Amino acid sequence: MITFKLNGKEVQGEEGQYILQVAEKYGVEIPTMCHHKALEPAGMCRLCTVEMFDGRRSRFVTACNYPIWEGMQIFTDTEEVHKGRKLIVEMLLARCPEVPMLQDLAKKYGIEKSRFKAEDDDCILCGLCVRMCQRMGNNAIELTGRGIEMVVDTPFHVQTDFCVACGACASVCPTGHITLEKINQNVTSRKNVRKIPSEYDMGLKGRKPIFVPYAQAVPNTPAIDRDTCMHFKTGGCKVCTEFCGVNAIKHDMEDEILELDVGSIILATGFEPFDPSKFDNYGYAKHPNVVTAMEFERILSASGPTMGHLVRSSDHKEPKKIAWFQCVGSRDINRCDNAHCSSVCCMYAIKESIIAKEHSGDDLDCAVFYMDIRTHGKDFERYYERAKTQGVRFVRSRVHTINPVPETDDLEVRYVLDSGELVKETFDMIVLSIGLQTPPELIQLANDLNIDLTTGNFCKTDTFSPVQTSREGIFVCGAFQGPKDIPQSVVDSSAAASAAGEMLSPARNTLTKIKEVVPEVNVIGERPRIGVFVCNCGINIGGVVNVPGVRDYAKTLPYVEYVTDNMYTCSQDTQEVMKDIITKNRLNRIVVAACSPKTHEPLFRETLADTGLNKYLFEMTNIRNQNSWVHKNNPDIATQKAKDLVRMAVTKVALKEPLPEAELSIGQTAMVIGGGITGMSTALSFARQGYETHLIENTDRLGGNALTLYKTWKGENIQEKLKGLIDQVSREENLKIHLNTTLASVEGFVGNFKSTLASQGKEDVIEYGVAVIATGASEFKPVEYMYGKDPRIVTSQELDRKLIGNDPVLNSLNTAVFIQCVGSREPERPYCSRVCCTHSVDSALELKRRNPGMNVYILNRDIRTYGERETLYKEAREAGIIFIRFTRENKPVVAIEDGVVKVKVTDHILGMPLEIETDLVNLASAVIPPRDEKLAQFFKVPLNDDGFFVERHAKLGPSEFATDGVFLAGLAHYPKPIDESIAQGMAAASRAVTLLAQKTIHTNGEIAKVNPALCSSCGVCISICPYKAPSFIPDDARFFPGKAEINPALCKGCGLCVASCRSGAIGLKGFDNDQIFAMIEAI
Amino acid sequence: MDFMGIERDRLHLSWISSAEATKFIDVVGEVTAAIKALGPNTNFVKNKAKAA
Amino acid sequence: MSEWEPKIAAFLCNWCSYGAADLAGVSRLQYPPNIRVIRIPCTGRMSPKFILSAFRNGADGVWVSG
Repeated sequence: MITFKLNGKEVQGEEGQYILQVAEKYGVEIPTMCHHKALEPAGMCRLCTVEMFDGRRSRFVTACNYPIWEGMQIFTDTEEVHKGRKLIVEMLLARCPEVPMLQDLAKKYGIEKSRFKAEDDDCILCGLCVRMCQRMGNNAIELTGRGIEMVVDTPFHVQTDFCVACGACASVCPTGHITLEKINQNVTSRKNVRKIPSEYDMGLKGRKPIFVPYAQAVPNTPAIDRDTCMHFKTGGCKVCTEFCGVNAIKHDMEDEILELDVGSIILATGFEPFDPSKFDNYGYAKHPNVVTAMEFERILSASGPTMGHLVRSSDHKEPKKIAWFQCVGSRDINRCDNAHCSSVCCMYAIKESIIAKEHSGDDLDCAVFYMDIRTHGKDFERYYERAKTQGVRFVRSRVHTINPVPETDDLEVRYVLDSGELVKETFDMIVLSIGLQTPPELIQLANDLNIDLTTGNFCKTDTFSPVQTSREGIFVCGAFQGPKDIPQSVVDSSAAASAAGEMLSPARNTLTKIKEVVPEVNVIGERPRIGVFVCNCGINIGGVVNVPGVRDYAKTLPYVEYVTDNMYTCSQDTQEVMKDIITKNRLNRIVVAACSPKTHEPLFRETLADTGLNKYLFEMTNIRNQNSWVHKNNPDIATQKAKDLVRMAVTKVALKEPLPEAELSIGQTAMVIGGGITGMSTALSFARQGYETHLIENTDRLGGNALTLYKTWKGENIQEKLKGLIDQVSREENLKIHLNTTLASVEGFVGNFKSTLASQGKEDVIEYGVAVIATGASEFKPVEYMYGKDPRIVTSQELDRKLIGNDPVLNSLNTAVFIQCVGSREPERPYCSRVCCTHSVDSALELKRRNPGMNVYILNRDIRTYGERETLYKEAREAGIIFIRFTRENKPVVAIEDGVVKVKVTDHILGMPLEIETDLVNLASAVIPPRDEKLAQFFKVPLNDDGFFVERHAKLGPSEFATDGVFLAGLAHYPKPIDESIAQGMAAASRAVTLLAQKTIHTNGEIAKVNPALCSSCGVCISICPYKAPSFIPDDARFFPGKAEINPALCKGCGLCVASCRSGAIGLKGFDNDQIFAMIEAI
Repeated sequence: MDFMGIERDRLHLSWISSAEATKFIDVVGEVTAAIKALGPNTNFVKNKAKAA
Repeated sequence: MSEWEPKIAAFLCNWCSYGAADLAGVSRLQYPPNIRVIRIPCTGRMSPKFILSAFRNGADGVWVSG
């Protein structure tokens, strides 16, 4: 250790350190230009000149490369030093008058114009590039020549292969003398220095060889890309190790091969977006303003390459007209091999057009060119209608070619309308709605695993076991099973977990470790002893906010006993240090000033619990996401704000009390309501995972709608399969079937439900922990098209009944007409029933098979044979089935004239009315839910306008309710075919088992609590609570009869009742009035 | 607000979903600008001297 | 401080606006540093008393966002 004086103050440094390093450690600023932390100092620019007194005399030395020695005295701020630096800047400015960095520096030193003769160089010969090139292990450039002839150049001016075009020299050049473009032009004629395209931003932005894939990545840790990292090319560099404060970078880490023993495998491998560059006619590779939908998503994203500003790539102009082309790489076997419909593109294109309008204003012209609009998901049809009212144009046409408009970056398209009219239109930007496909490496994986694929290269599954691959023990979910959207993928993934769980249930909990619970320390009545931990988050906070300043400020606040700052407060070793600090200093309230409590509060609460402190004696304040990141350019104000935020948190935490969490046991029994295919699948899944299950069916037999369905679109015989399923259900030991039974009452809450079952005059009470609503839906009885007037006019299920019964009528048919969207996609029922298109196409093909000479027409508004069902549509067209489109405004008319059934429709191509005499009219009728308000009331779950139940989250929680312990599956959620119903049934069971398997759960401590002494029994809280948590204490209770109380198992801690309580009797623990007032006072 | 003698524009209400970061900053900007335009709040502020 | 800067108490719902504020940070969007966030579990928790109290304690503005 060497001790010397820096500006009169005694400081210490290690042997061999330079003055600059020690000064930096003590926060003394010395300006530099040719210095780089990772490179050996060279003392080239001399800007870091300081004054040194060696005991006898003063002289000037460069701080960056002058080693420290015992007893020396350094002055960094004297007038002489400033004079010297000013002269250096003045001379450099004369050499390079146009370099912005030097101009700024000159301004700082008060130099208006250099007194020396101006030259027009832009290199200051700092040598950073040369040293960096050396460090990279390349030595491709050198300072050549002497004196005034000195330049940065390759040896002997010869280009050699030593330069690997890494661009490191350009990255450190302070003046812009070296840029990537110049290297490309002059230095490396054979290689190209390029930005590394960011995978996440679809190549619209560059990234570094060390990168975090995207801001929300989990784990949020940077990785090194070995293909682009210089160290792995030359063995040099390792610059990153100099900057990592915690020495986390290890270049010698190697890939490990792990062998795992597993009982089952789930393939959730996803899809790859179709690459449209092979389509010359769209010119995706040529025209920068033709983008894929994935690229467009990034352009719209606030974290994307344009920060959410909708501008086109070529000139950063805001587009006025954008077109979407649907089915690029889908429904196309001519230009690519994808026969399937990708299922998601219609909806995402509509979404992108609406969001584009939100970004750019309503005058943005959005046009979607499509073949059929397929908005068959829950609430999607409404969204489509909304897009139309917002002015998004939907043009039914497949555009053949995109032509650039000469001398502009605009794009011209020509298309033909249904009427035959040819239209020419120019757009600023074109988005290709690219499809989903299975990548080649996944096909290889499927081969290696020996599992079967469909003709479209998706994983082959059976309708009745939708997540089971052809190989036992291997399951599939998501887009590898078939192209699908998020909710369906989430359903699948839960179903796959359930399927694996059924197999592995004997092994459940055999590999779990039980965490030791530290007994809680009683702190009630103690004076608050607050510990404040301020996080630097590397440089995320520390780079903007003066963290030591905030830390020292926190020390001055009342009750604060301990303060510190950490490099990364959330790191594992810091948790250990924190625990030590808490115990040693007997802290009883903790504040962490760091990132967001939404992500990190649970971690710190656990750390508190590990020391025996109640986890609610904690407050987190957000000085990163809501401070340092958003006030980057205002370090002083950001520091002040951080202090304010810490003060508010400290004031609040002092008032925090330890909160108890009630432990609830979860009844290990499940109840499934509805004995259709969905309910049976759910019940079976529960029973196979070892849970006692009650299956409630209100009719006298199991099977539901499936009893009247003929075949699946894959050709499976539904009646046979249904019989097999009923057999399995009946044989299952843990499963009790209640036929002719309805639910008479529901009491209780998650884990502890109790119901009365009414069955033919008898009543039975059962207790259960979880419930699944699988009550289904039914076929709408049509009110138009002469339904009911003639036996030849039937619904889809009625036709299926004839097919099942092999009705002889079917053999004598010459003509059949299918009419789609009967009762669906209407103003009073604005949803698509999802199943009818496939059903009609399938039935039409069946009729055609029975009688090939027959004429079959399908009158439709759009054909929605999504996913691989598209192949069925193609088969139907090839079989000669005629598809005629109509609109809601111009529907077909069914008439019976002289005993003949006639269907009149306007042909969409010819524009001419057409009259079909037919022997059969099949009305593809809507799926309508029973709108079971009683059941909804029983379980406190919502119904939507259409009468379907509303799930917890449309995308991420499709099989569960917001109410804990209640789950949802099948048609009660939304119309869906059998495979999706079964998957959702299994998914509901899977979600429920995650609760059941815990056996006990802890309620949230931050909930409302009534002070019964103040309660006036007005009942406002009971009526206002969305979770039905408050209730009156029964009149016969011993204490406080008639007063309100709150069930901690149901309370979500929203505080609605607290704000509404006129008597001020309700408090919200953790966010109580005094705590919030304290924060307000501390503002 | 009027009753308490505080300018109406000092209170702002908004609804922003957790995904609408851009809307969030827009609203922050608007709110700040509106309040800046009103100048410091003088009415109804606790008289610190009296309180002490 | 050369120019007067207001102090604004921002009551943000934990699930909505607080999340948006976090995301604004993740996206590095910059905004004026005048707000002081008070996280509340839900805007249902808001009481007029909080607003008045904020003014009483010298806030120049109050912003409630759900």
